[in-house]
Amino acid sequence: MKLLLTFTFIFLFIATNAQTTISGNVTDSSGIPIPGANVYLNETYDGGSTGENGSFSFTTTETGEQTLLISFLSFETYTLVSDVAAMQNLKIVLREDVNSLGSVVLNAGTFSAGDNSKTAVLTPIDIVTTAGAAGDYIGAFQTLPGTSTVAEDGRLFVRGGDASEANVYIDGLKVFQPFNATTNNVPTRGRFSPFLFKGTNFSTGGYSAEYGNALSSVLLLNTIDEPNQEKTDISIINVGLGIGNTQRWKKSSLSVNAFYLNLKPYQEVISQRMKWIKPYESLSGEAVYRHKFENGLLKVYGGINYTNFDLIQEDIDTPEGINFALKNRNLYLNTSYKGDLGNDWTITTGASFANDHNDIKIVNTPIDNNENSFHFKLKLRKRFSNRFKLNMGAEQFITTFSEKASIPNLDTFRSTFNNTSTAIFTEGNIFLSKKFAMQLGARGVHNSLLSYSKISPRASLAYKTSSKSQISLAYGDFYQNPQQNILKYTSTLEPEKSSHYIFNYLYQNNKRTLRAEAYYKSYDALIKYNTNTPEFTSLYNNNGSGYAAGLDVFWRDNSSIKNFEYWASYSYLDTQRDYKNYPEKATPNFAAKHNVSLVTKYWIENWKSMIGTTYNFASGRPYNDPNQSIFQNQKTRTYNSLNLNWAYLISQQKILYLSVSNVLGSNNVFNYQYSNTPNTQGNFNRRAIRPNADRFFIIGFFWTISDDKKDNQLDNL
Amino acid sequence: MKTLAVLIAFFTLSILNSQTPSSYEKGMSKAFELWKDKKPDEAIHLFERIAKVEKENWLPYYYAAQVHIFTTFGLKEAEAIESRLKKAQEYLNEVNTMTNNNAEVLVMEAMLNTAYVSYNPSVYGMTLSAKIEQLYQKAKVLDPKNPRATLNHAQWKMGSAKFFGKDPKTFCPEIEKAILYFENESHDIPFYPQWGKEQLSSIQESCKKE
Repeated sequence: MKLLLTFTFIFLFIATNAQTTISGNVTDSSGIPIPGANVYLNETYDGGSTGENGSFSFTTTETGEQTLLISFLSFETYTLVSDVAAMQNLKIVLREDVNSLGSVVLNAGTFSAGDNSKTAVLTPIDIVTTAGAAGDYIGAFQTLPGTSTVAEDGRLFVRGGDASEANVYIDGLKVFQPFNATTNNVPTRGRFSPFLFKGTNFSTGGYSAEYGNALSSVLLLNTIDEPNQEKTDISIINVGLGIGNTQRWKKSSLSVNAFYLNLKPYQEVISQRMKWIKPYESLSGEAVYRHKFENGLLKVYGGINYTNFDLIQEDIDTPEGINFALKNRNLYLNTSYKGDLGNDWTITTGASFANDHNDIKIVNTPIDNNENSFHFKLKLRKRFSNRFKLNMGAEQFITTFSEKASIPNLDTFRSTFNNTSTAIFTEGNIFLSKKFAMQLGARGVHNSLLSYSKISPRASLAYKTSSKSQISLAYGDFYQNPQQNILKYTSTLEPEKSSHYIFNYLYQNNKRTLRAEAYYKSYDALIKYNTNTPEFTSLYNNNGSGYAAGLDVFWRDNSSIKNFEYWASYSYLDTQRDYKNYPEKATPNFAAKHNVSLVTKYWIENWKSMIGTTYNFASGRPYNDPNQSIFQNQKTRTYNSLNLNWAYLISQQKILYLSVSNVLGSNNVFNYQYSNTPNTQGNFNRRAIRPNADRFFIIGFFWTISDDKKDNQLDNL
Repeated sequence: MKTLAVLIAFFTLSILNSQTPSSYEKGMSKAFELWKDKKPDEAIHLFERIAKVEKENWLPYYYAAQVHIFTTFGLKEAEAIESRLKKAQEYLNEVNTMTNNNAEVLVMEAMLNTAYVSYNPSVYGMTLSAKIEQLYQKAKVLDPKNPRATLNHAQWKMGSAKFFGKDPKTFCPEIEKAILYFENESHDIPFYPQWGKEQLSSIQESCKKE
């Protein structure tokens, strides 16, 4: 009996005291102790935190093989499987988690706008609250460095490239006609309503191998995955009416909107330099449907747009002016799926389709054209580890175009082309440490219309120089097919080529950002022709070339003054090119040497108002004066525009909005048109190309109806 | 003697049997103590360790997230705030694999989003406000008498009323409701969320002020 008692006591003793001490030391890769790391045996209560010197010690009653875990914010969790008896005086080195905040970011060439991107320079709201942008999602990007102010056009002119060198993508799929149809000197706008997008990447060069057929720039727009709530938006503006509605179900949601724009009442009040026979009128509708599957997300986007106007444009050689009328009909469909395939594979796939139909009348020549475009893309991504990810994909583009021009008393001209491109790409994303990352890729493309195959390498790397700054470099070759206006006459051309070399410095500290980027871009195989504009009889070749070099500086400060945010951009651009019908290398009219933008936003609490200003400055733009012996050696006066907007919250869901562009009425000149023949004194007369009206006003009332009475459209303005 | 042996054996057994629940309770209590003693990271570590054992229990991860979220309210440095909130989101994702349509979790998600808004209103204010509102509304539908949903929703609305230059006192009756719900609150599950009461007195006071 006594023996039993003793045995029981021993047993008890063992049960409560058979403890092993686990101890050791935790450091980072450079040997610096990590205090406050969590050290524990998995699936037990036994563990502790490391002290100031990185050491830990705790006891456990567990025996045999166990899993020791060591975790700490911004480091990869360390796992050790071993016998607990051997877990003593451990020397543990934690690896930095390259996905954590504070890691280096590959950002040469890119501006991102979004909530979650570490290097975002704009927020989604900025895109739509920037004065002068007036709800056009392109407007805010035109205040970033690297873009040239070309106010008579409205599209993006990036780093010495013209507007056709920039491509737009929605959810990774190409948008074939991102801008509303227009004509010379009537600035266009983006077709899409800004509130459909949650994040945007604007690349001014050196972009990923995933994107091709653009010499200068890509703008990547991503639609919202899941809308926050059901609501109805009503907008009443002095130039139009809009309505939108969002519905949500358990796994899916639908947003629809429609907008009708008519400039007639406006143009009757505000005098115009052009004579409008039928003022600009457009009707557009959009719908986005999203469905969540267990492992993926499907999005279907559809947009239709109908535009119509008729005007008489001034012309130096035609005193009565030139009549131009346009009816445009555009349909765009975009379906994308993003999903998880398991085993760290993800798939992104989709297709987009566009039909664009123009019914044009120039003086008394009717021109009808029709373009169908199709893009299919499949992209796979494998995550081998936190430090190595591989993307690969294939895409197919098909474009068919046909045009019929019936010149009275002469003939009917028809032109068509079918353009098919196939491309494959692959890109590796490698983090050597939290401080040093690179992305290497290549893109191969085959075009069957022009029958060429090209391979373009892309590379970028980034190095973190301190906790607040980093430098990055990017290089890439880019090819682009000739535009529609040339392809319809010839297909015996090579693609145009550019190469980008980019050096970027980024400094971020407490809501202040400084970004400076120097670049050099070479242009080769630019298309030249021997007539004023591309024609059926023109002779075409690829003998053009050029370069662009410059410096882009961006500064943003959101913290120095309460309720006040501002950003400033400066771009220096030195560019020359020999293309189109240029007799020699020269700086094109769209490329001003200096561009400055200053954007401010001020929230006045007592007035319940947000007041925004945007100031744009551009140095004189080059133009050609045939009275001079040197080609393209004149400069226009400088460009100045101060834009204001004021959003007043009547209540949380009702907003009154006022926006005025060029408040000071600066007299801006974009270019000059010279007559084809000299006058009696032997001089060529000229006419200044100026804005259609110096100022533009928008007054609007925006009303949101939702259950929670909270949301408003401030983020759409 | 034999009785003694049986007793001892029984005693030993009962210790062994009760070990699992008691170390859970000990661990949770200890973690709350650490938090109270201003050692939030150690508290989070302990909650995380408990969570790894209690695979079906959402409470440890819920509290790990809460400590991270509440800690950011006193912080200024952007990187520290963002990395805590990111981690809190990860914990809440774990919680959501264990429990569905849980008003307490929805309130905590609303708190997480509120933390983003209060740290950077110009970036997150517009985008997250509607989401926060939605989360509170859903929580109140699931559990209409949840004191934390009622109280924090009222506080959130008071905050935005102030921002838009309106009278936050409109929502004072909601606070009274929350007080009532707190009084009637009872749960059988140990460590079930009960927080929120401690803020009542100061809010009540501001409601009384003229």
